Amino acid sequence: MTTPPGTLRIYQQLVRLYPRRFREEYGPDLVGLVADQLRDEPTWRVLARSAVDLALTLPARHLEAHMDRAPTPVVPTLFGALALSAVVVGATVGHPIVLLACIAGAVAAGWLGLLAAHRSKPLTQPRPATAHWWKLLAAGAGLLAALVAATTAIGELPDGGWLVAMVTGLTALVLLGAGIVLGIVHLAGRARRGAAAAWSR
Amino acid sequence: MTRSKPLPAASLHVVLALLDGELHGYALMRRVEQLSDGAVRMGPGTLYGTLNRLVDTGLIEETTDRSPRGDNERRRYYELTPNGRLVAVDELTRLRALVQRTAGHLPGGAPA
Repeated sequence: MTTPPGTLRIYQQLVRLYPRRFREEYGPDLVGLVADQLRDEPTWRVLARSAVDLALTLPARHLEAHMDRAPTPVVPTLFGALALSAVVVGATVGHPIVLLACIAGAVAAGWLGLLAAHRSKPLTQPRPATAHWWKLLAAGAGLLAALVAATTAIGELPDGGWLVAMVTGLTALVLLGAGIVLGIVHLAGRARRGAAAAWSR
Repeated sequence: MTRSKPLPAASLHVVLALLDGELHGYALMRRVEQLSDGAVRMGPGTLYGTLNRLVDTGLIEETTDRSPRGDNERRRYYELTPNGRLVAVDELTRLRALVQRTAGHLPGGAPA
């Protein structure tokens, strides 16, 4: 079957309707693919399929081009800076209510930062839940460090300050404890899998 | 154990088609058609849109250009990355479990 150049030229023109980046990256491949199809299949069938494909994919590619944002570390960094600022402000002001609000803000911003960092990564192999032990450990240590920094900066705690400090300290200890337990479980599991792999070899 | 989300239908067919090795666009399109008994026929825009997304997410990668077609056209080949292979196997496992749990509804099928 010969390839009608007219058909291919029409498709080549229609490919120009795709967004520029997509067209520049895949334009020749799209036309090449249709040329391959035209060699093996009746022209009417290739044309019909390509027309439907264009109608369906043109809006989708334009929407993607509009929405597409390459994953960057900007958002996680912003949340990290926000968490750090909250800790600094809390430690500087020293009022128990402000301190509590700042600690809550720092925890929320830190969590959102971790979430954003996770989402900006490419798809990875599924990991067991215990693999996140170090995050709990880091959160506990960070909270404890923030508490020590705040109490050192304030000096003598005002009324109600002890309650805030105790709740924060307990939260930090719970996070540290959970991190340690999960870490032990995770490392033991990894050692067990390593031994099983060595045994199977 | 956390699991990755199921792949969209087009991406699933492409990663499964690449399990046997690298393919260029047209061969990939034919392979998808063959694997699905002709039920899935991808158009050029669907195929390259899917390939673009899979390259972006690190599941497949482009391999060396080869066999030029003599008129300055190029043929790009695609293959699964190690992570893509794991995701493809994970998808197959998920599909097998689904079939096993629902096989009883097939005509003449044994209860699952």
